[in-house]
Amino acid sequence: MKRKTVLSMAWENMKQRKLRTTLTTLGVIIGITAILAVTSLGEGFNTMVTEQIEYFELDVVMVMPIGRETYLTSEDAGNISQVINEVAVATPVMQKMMPIGLYSGEKNATALLLGVNFTEFEIVYPERLVFDEGSLLQPIENDTIVLGYSVAHPETGEAFAEVGGEVTVEIYVGGLPPIRNYTFTVAGTLKESGAGTLISIDNMVLIPLNTAKEIYKTDYDMMFVKLVDQEYSERVAEEIKDMLQKPVTALAPSVMIQRAGNILDMAEIFLAGIASIALLVAGVGIMNIMTVSVMERTREIGILKALGAKNRNILSMFLAEAALIGLTGGLLGIPTGYGLAHFLSYALSTIRPQSSNGLIQGGGMSINITPVLSLSWVVGALVFGIAVSLLFALYPARKAAKLDPVEALRYE
Amino acid sequence: MTVILETKNVKKTYKMGDVLVPALRGVTFKVAKGEILAVFGSSGSGKSTLLHILGALDRADEGKVFVDGIDLSTLSDNELADVRLRKVGFVFQFFNLLPRLTALRNVELPLTLADVSDKECHKKASEVLKLVGLEGRLDHRPTELSGGEQQRVAIARALVNDPSIILADEPTGNLDTKTGFEIAQLMKRLNEEKGQTFVVVTHDPAIAETADHIIYLKDGLIEGIKKGGGRP
Repeated sequence: MKRKTVLSMAWENMKQRKLRTTLTTLGVIIGITAILAVTSLGEGFNTMVTEQIEYFELDVVMVMPIGRETYLTSEDAGNISQVINEVAVATPVMQKMMPIGLYSGEKNATALLLGVNFTEFEIVYPERLVFDEGSLLQPIENDTIVLGYSVAHPETGEAFAEVGGEVTVEIYVGGLPPIRNYTFTVAGTLKESGAGTLISIDNMVLIPLNTAKEIYKTDYDMMFVKLVDQEYSERVAEEIKDMLQKPVTALAPSVMIQRAGNILDMAEIFLAGIASIALLVAGVGIMNIMTVSVMERTREIGILKALGAKNRNILSMFLAEAALIGLTGGLLGIPTGYGLAHFLSYALSTIRPQSSNGLIQGGGMSINITPVLSLSWVVGALVFGIAVSLLFALYPARKAAKLDPVEALRYE
Repeated sequence: MTVILETKNVKKTYKMGDVLVPALRGVTFKVAKGEILAVFGSSGSGKSTLLHILGALDRADEGKVFVDGIDLSTLSDNELADVRLRKVGFVFQFFNLLPRLTALRNVELPLTLADVSDKECHKKASEVLKLVGLEGRLDHRPTELSGGEQQRVAIARALVNDPSIILADEPTGNLDTKTGFEIAQLMKRLNEEKGQTFVVVTHDPAIAETADHIIYLKDGLIEGIKKGGGRP
């Protein structure tokens, strides 16, 4: 029998039992929809992360002490830049997890405090320390403060403070009294830095490093090490860990990105695997319906065999039905899945996670994932849909093919 | 005379649970080309079993069946299917048409199975339906046809692949006397006009009237062979 004939006969059979065919196909549609929704969201998330990597300064290694009472010192920074040839500059910073209060006239805000050596910090992050208003006047006074973009532009729309104006900073320092106020003069405000750095400076205020040290009376809790080229980042990170005689962690962005990428890929495959369960359930549905169908059509199978149909003709007729169900389910499930991904992405974008911690990448931002339909997943889902349908139809189809013609003709 | 069908000592036993039921106990006969052979016998005489074995739907336990010179006992299941497709046509008591297909599509089925082109299928099936007097019923489904018309469609379907022999299992058994007579006459006409060979399992005297020979089957054995009304 010609393939075209087998397919058209299968199609006619399916049309005869519209409701049943529709419901069986619906199972496959749901399965493929689940897989496509998960994978196109996953691909979208991957793309988003990959795009953000472009904003990463891959030539900066971040060093952080491990443990509460461990700090980094100016000597550590000096040693690193002297001993390791590939280091351009190593600059320690003061950055506490505890948010501070900011007061400017009637207005108030919360932010994170970052104590930096402005000159060195500008070498490390030349594209981050860009002034929107004002500038750093040399020599830098101890009461200088620079406002990050989000601090300078609160959601009310009104500027938080004027350049040259005074702001009061309320800081928890421990000891007695635990909360103290300091007054700073605004030197300028920064342009939006966006996500993508190891720290997000948009919701920070920057003050001179020595001022921060005087306030907190501790050494430093972070260090940025700028390299002459990003290709050394992993090796230098290791060298720094070996060199400093204290427990520290040194993060090379490239390694973090690679690890994140691996985790994302694994998560995508894992989620697609879970979504595949829906398709397997659909497969069981196909098997169920086909088994019933073979029983109902026993006599018809007997007639076809009496007319000269071979076992393989009967087998291919039933498999063709399954393949058509798989194909139709796949073709309908792909756009539905992609649509569902868009809906989920919209739902995600309306959630605004609260963040008090500038260290968390993208903290405080809404999640905007644009689903990506990758050809490999589309083809994969189609093939998988047809394969699952065929696999589960194999048993009933073989049963049909092997029916004894005389028995089948007698079947009432 | 050309022998188109021959059986030699055909035996068949069925197993019903633990009991062995002999259906055929050594049946030997020949059918000449262009002959109508009627097989008479009471229920349980083995006539349906015989027809299934002649039509390559079932295999004999012992003995040989030759259809158009082909020894069926040497064939694989696939080759038996080919014999059913090209050498044999079946007509059943309950017509066994596919209810969702039109008369034309039902008749086209064997051609489709034989990979005949769509155009040729259509042409040939229409011709055969005309031959059985149903040229005005091509697009009717079986439910829209009378019993006699349905049996004509079934005969057309059996005829369409130009089989060496048509095997009919009580073809008039489900029809009233008048319609049964018409079907018997149709078979006779096809026999005379086309030289079509028939083996007909029946109780119907109308068919006995048209048959060249009648075989009487009893308890799986041939009890006697007589000349039928069809032979002058």
